[in-house]
Amino acid sequence: MSVQAGEQARGSQRKGVSLRFSQEGIVFLLTMLMFVGFSILLPNFLTSGNVIALMRSVSVLGMLALGMSLVVIGRGVDLTMVSTLVVGVVWAVKMANDGMPFGQALFYGGLLVAGFGMVVGLIVAFAEIPPIFTTLAMAPVIFGIGNPFLFKQDTHNAPQGVTWLNELGFGASFGIPNTILVFAAVALVMHLILRYTRFGRSIYAMGDNPAAARLSGLPVRPITVAQYMMTALVAYLVGIVILGSNSGINSRLAYTTLVYDVLLVVVLGGIGLSGGRGGVRNVIVGTLFVGTLLSGMTILNLSLTAQNFIKSLVMLLALIADTVANPRDEQTSQQGDI
Amino acid sequence: MSAADTLVQLRYRFLPDHVVGEVLSKRWTDNAIPFIALLLTLAVFGSVNPGMFTAFGMYDLAGQIAEFGLLAIALTLVMISGGIDLSIGSVFALCAMTVLTALNVYNLPLPVAVGITLGVGAVCGAINGVLIGYLRLRAFLTTLVTLVMFRSIYEMVLPKFATQIVLGMPDSVVWDELGFGSFLGLPYAFFLSALIALIWHVVLSRSRPGWHIAAVGGARRSAHNAGINVRLVVCLTYVFCGMMVAAAATLFAARLTSVGTDTGLGMEISVLTAVILGGTTLGGGRGSVAKALIGSVIVLILTNGLLQLGVIGTVSALILGVVLLLAVWLDVRWVKNRQKLIDSSYVSPAYIKLTESVNAAENPVYAVNDKLRDVQTIGLGEVEGPEDVAVDRAGNIYSGSRHGEIHRWLAPDFTRHEIFAHIGGGTFGMNFDKDDNLVVCVGGMGLYMVTPEREVVKLTDETSRSLTSVIDDSRIRLADDLDIAPDGRVFFSEASIRYTVHDWPVDMIESRGNGRIICYDPRDKSTKTVLKNRIFPNGIVCLPDGESLLFNETWACRICRYWYDGKKKGQVEIVLDGLPGYPDNINRASDGNYWVCLVGMRGPALDMMMTRPGLRRRMTRRIAPANWIYPNINTGCIIKISATGEVLESLWDKGGVNHPMVTSCKEHEGHLVIGGVSNNRVGRWKIPGADPTWSSPVDYWGAKQ
Amino acid sequence: MKLKHLMAGALALASVAGGVAAQQELSNASRDSYLSAVEGKRVVYIPMSMTTDLVLTWNAFLQRQADELGYTVDVRDPNWSAEAGARALTQAIGEKPDLIVLQNPDVQAYARLIQRATKAGIKIIQLNMESLTQSDAYVGADWYGVGHTAGEAIAARCSADGASSNKVAVVTGVPTAPVDLFQMSGFRAALEEAGGGIEIVSEQSAGYDPSKARAITSSVLQQNPDLCAVFGIWDGQDAGIGAAVKEAGMAEQVFVVSSGGGAQTSCDRVADGSFDMFIEYDARMQGQALNTLVASMLQSGREAGSEKIVYYGPNYVVTKDSLTPASCFTVDEDQ
Repeated sequence: MSVQAGEQARGSQRKGVSLRFSQEGIVFLLTMLMFVGFSILLPNFLTSGNVIALMRSVSVLGMLALGMSLVVIGRGVDLTMVSTLVVGVVWAVKMANDGMPFGQALFYGGLLVAGFGMVVGLIVAFAEIPPIFTTLAMAPVIFGIGNPFLFKQDTHNAPQGVTWLNELGFGASFGIPNTILVFAAVALVMHLILRYTRFGRSIYAMGDNPAAARLSGLPVRPITVAQYMMTALVAYLVGIVILGSNSGINSRLAYTTLVYDVLLVVVLGGIGLSGGRGGVRNVIVGTLFVGTLLSGMTILNLSLTAQNFIKSLVMLLALIADTVANPRDEQTSQQGDI
Repeated sequence: MSAADTLVQLRYRFLPDHVVGEVLSKRWTDNAIPFIALLLTLAVFGSVNPGMFTAFGMYDLAGQIAEFGLLAIALTLVMISGGIDLSIGSVFALCAMTVLTALNVYNLPLPVAVGITLGVGAVCGAINGVLIGYLRLRAFLTTLVTLVMFRSIYEMVLPKFATQIVLGMPDSVVWDELGFGSFLGLPYAFFLSALIALIWHVVLSRSRPGWHIAAVGGARRSAHNAGINVRLVVCLTYVFCGMMVAAAATLFAARLTSVGTDTGLGMEISVLTAVILGGTTLGGGRGSVAKALIGSVIVLILTNGLLQLGVIGTVSALILGVVLLLAVWLDVRWVKNRQKLIDSSYVSPAYIKLTESVNAAENPVYAVNDKLRDVQTIGLGEVEGPEDVAVDRAGNIYSGSRHGEIHRWLAPDFTRHEIFAHIGGGTFGMNFDKDDNLVVCVGGMGLYMVTPEREVVKLTDETSRSLTSVIDDSRIRLADDLDIAPDGRVFFSEASIRYTVHDWPVDMIESRGNGRIICYDPRDKSTKTVLKNRIFPNGIVCLPDGESLLFNETWACRICRYWYDGKKKGQVEIVLDGLPGYPDNINRASDGNYWVCLVGMRGPALDMMMTRPGLRRRMTRRIAPANWIYPNINTGCIIKISATGEVLESLWDKGGVNHPMVTSCKEHEGHLVIGGVSNNRVGRWKIPGADPTWSSPVDYWGAKQ
Repeated sequence: MKLKHLMAGALALASVAGGVAAQQELSNASRDSYLSAVEGKRVVYIPMSMTTDLVLTWNAFLQRQADELGYTVDVRDPNWSAEAGARALTQAIGEKPDLIVLQNPDVQAYARLIQRATKAGIKIIQLNMESLTQSDAYVGADWYGVGHTAGEAIAARCSADGASSNKVAVVTGVPTAPVDLFQMSGFRAALEEAGGGIEIVSEQSAGYDPSKARAITSSVLQQNPDLCAVFGIWDGQDAGIGAAVKEAGMAEQVFVVSSGGGAQTSCDRVADGSFDMFIEYDARMQGQALNTLVASMLQSGREAGSEKIVYYGPNYVVTKDSLTPASCFTVDEDQ
């Protein structure tokens, strides 16, 4: 089975015909299993309210994962996302609370965030430092620019009287919370960009083989910069959603391991870190997986520690299942692919 | 010689430009950027932070380096093998808790407690190792997940012991000393860690397991194909990583004697920063203990210094981030350009004024003829690059090959052949000794011997290191030709200490005198360099006087005589200068004279360039190696000379039909057996009027008893 | 040499003259000795991170008094890392300042280092979290009291007749953090004292992340639509609880209790109904108490560790009704 099935799986993953054996398929299967299991075992799991709450709770994670997937497909990674969103949004909120019109403050925040994305992109593209180090190093740099130079305190309330922000966080359209709708919209836009634009296809080409992409005349460097700017802006959007749904934002978010959770969602869904693979569907599968798991465990009233333990075990299982279904061998392994 | 010429000559004799390239090509220059960064950090923080160099400051710093350094080495191990371990922070916390629980809560004896702790580290490492090594999971994700897993185990267990850990007091003097004692003003932990670091340094840089780790990281596929158990090696690096983390955690526990909820949290980032700053590459193959330590010291001094200066935490994280970026950027540039820099600076031509060559008009002996055209070809297409040949007492012909094999062409018709021995390196000069062992110079490997039973024995592959040489000249890189003195000593030439078998012609561009003659004495198995700084010493033949030998200096176009014994011991005399070509090997003829093979002929352009080192240097810097001017080594000739340097005869293949390229020839029973380093055949030519019974081994060693 | 002597003499004369001049005015001996006792002394302040309202407020108080009285307060910011904090503390012990003001991240982390400092003769004031090792003084919130107050309020409300149910949810920060543990034990004790009857249906940790708190709370509300109250452990995180309750349209039904240092942001939450009750361990109060202790420690000649002072700041309850503009404070970010 092994090699052939692996080949098939890879092929089908691209064509989107079958989910069998691919990591995406395995994770999807696990998600379904958990969902059915929880539905049977937990009395209130399968209510429309809970399912919507489940979706709501992971939409932030999902949106961040969508942004992350953009760079991961292009064989990069962006660990600055959370720092970027925190600094951008907190600064904008602080300016707004100091008297600036909120729209204007958001615009400046967006400029700042795009600037951060551009710097990261420039470093990756021109200094040729591996993205993982660039972003690992840039995350504290960005946060260090934000705190103490742009703001000092960690807790910031959303400015009063901005109705659309309130709607974004608390409102619902057609019975579905706006946050989920934003997630859906971002997913759709991302899907269209990745599948149907020249930019999107270039990202795949770049992720698959950067050298070949460059030699065949793709503007690899500008695309890289654009990629990181887009990811930063997606992060900023997520930050605004967070601001809306909690009517405030806490800069401590930058100290959490949220960005690793995001990365795990992306990779669990089946977007390989070696780039060129996967799409929006993978992100959604990964998001649903994490969402179902978290929701079930919250209902079971497990402690955070136990939740973390179970989460890591299940993730490990998913990774092992993928490796068993798609074994990698010594001859085809890529150098430097960790 | 004009004054300008003299000036050029002096400049190239006394300005050692070749040292630049040699220093750059040393492995330790790989650490140049991190090391400079270390010095800068030391200078900056040492000056703004006077507390650092006080006794207490040093004590404190040394204690931290002890722990942090071990962690950096642990991560380095994994990273050299091409992986990464993000779970070290969690393993660290688990281990620190384990040792404290064992000591403070269960009052176990110290060795048991430490043993258990190392075991916990090894088990955590083994979990990673099996998943990544054997199941081939991706290291980054797997350890990211195990980071969460180990952490949650820690958080589940810690509350049960936390209070007891702090309240308990282990009754162990050693433990207290480990944490608070000092020796020479530095903590014991520092010396312990230094010892561990030293052991790892030796393992990684000078042992087979260490090389396996680097091989797996540098080229996993090749390592697999070369027979290394890749999965085991990868798995073991994680196990050792876990144990090193456990050791660091033990030192940490001894120093602070308590653990908190966030012990080890985010540690992977700072350790990774240190390792990367030191110059270890993500993706494997490059890294060392020195790099890990340099990186750790930089990170510690930076973080301590910024903390000390009262810099806000987020700002010091910012500064650390910028430093990491700068360091990685410089390192990326350095790695990318270092080889280019070496390539462009390594070749450093010297001044050499060759003696005017003698041409056929002056000496009719050199007149081109077609004598070699009727050479009998042996093994056409079956042998590649027989640089030298040998004939045994039974008349079988032996020839080397580029493939590292010695062929034996069976007498009398030489149509059948067999692989006499497989050595593995390009075989050059070969000769029989008294006991019919075939002694062979093997490029890149040294001096070997094949017994009549076909057993391959290494005689020597290194000589004493000379004090002034920057590059390590103890290793024999390019053993070229040999002869055996009547007393059994083997004299062999090493053509160049700066170039290997693959790029020996580049040595010609330099023509500095990079070669030497080495003597191997089978009586006490010693190897000594006897003559240094010769210009590509090549062929060697011992004279029957038992105290001198003739050797060819290829790029100097001359033949010299060297006395290794007797009254003139140590002296060198030029026997024949101004050869029209580049002499390769030299061997005995039946009439007491010597056959010399000229591998190629000189040309006036190149002769002129030899006096223009600057021109040659520009050539090597500015144009691709394929376009450099090299000596002609396609057409040469064989000449016969007397021991005093009189040229008696020359043999050519004018049209280049059969055997234009000669590097070596051996006379046997009225025939000359000819080898050529770029030929696909061995030649055999009947010498008109030669003694048909003369055999070199019989003549030199006497008839077999 | 001669010149030096001469100058020294001149200086001495000048100072005597100055002293005489001062004595001619109303002399205040104790004030002078107070000032001279603290002047030029050195305090090292090791908080957890210079980002929270509490830490910034303490710092503002410390710096202001130091400026006034002429001693120095050096900040060492470990940025949430107990490791870096331990390093800073070790370095500080080596520097031998007159006093160390220390915020413990938990009860164990610095326990042994505090012993070491005491042995080295350096006085330590601990802030807001007691270490297992006691030192010269402790200033901070009464965590048990905070939890107890919350428990009392919730028990009263949820066992009352109009309550939707007796179900209560708790959202903690990090389950192992002692702040959480103390609050929880106070909370539980209060519920016990109220005669039981209150059921804790969910006790989840949000890791100080408001988004997580929001997700947990909405999930709990789904499971228990008749939930009576939610108790959050820290105001920064509890914004998410308020948001979830608001979103579910249950602001009237569900009673949200939070606690914090009293930054204006929290009072705003009380005003907009996110928090129904806010228990404030006033950071300003703590700052003043801290300053008093610092001044007295610097003056006192007694040995380090010879006496142990503990000061728990009072807890205020802020509700929509008791809310005044002075209930909270704006953090002085310029300090």
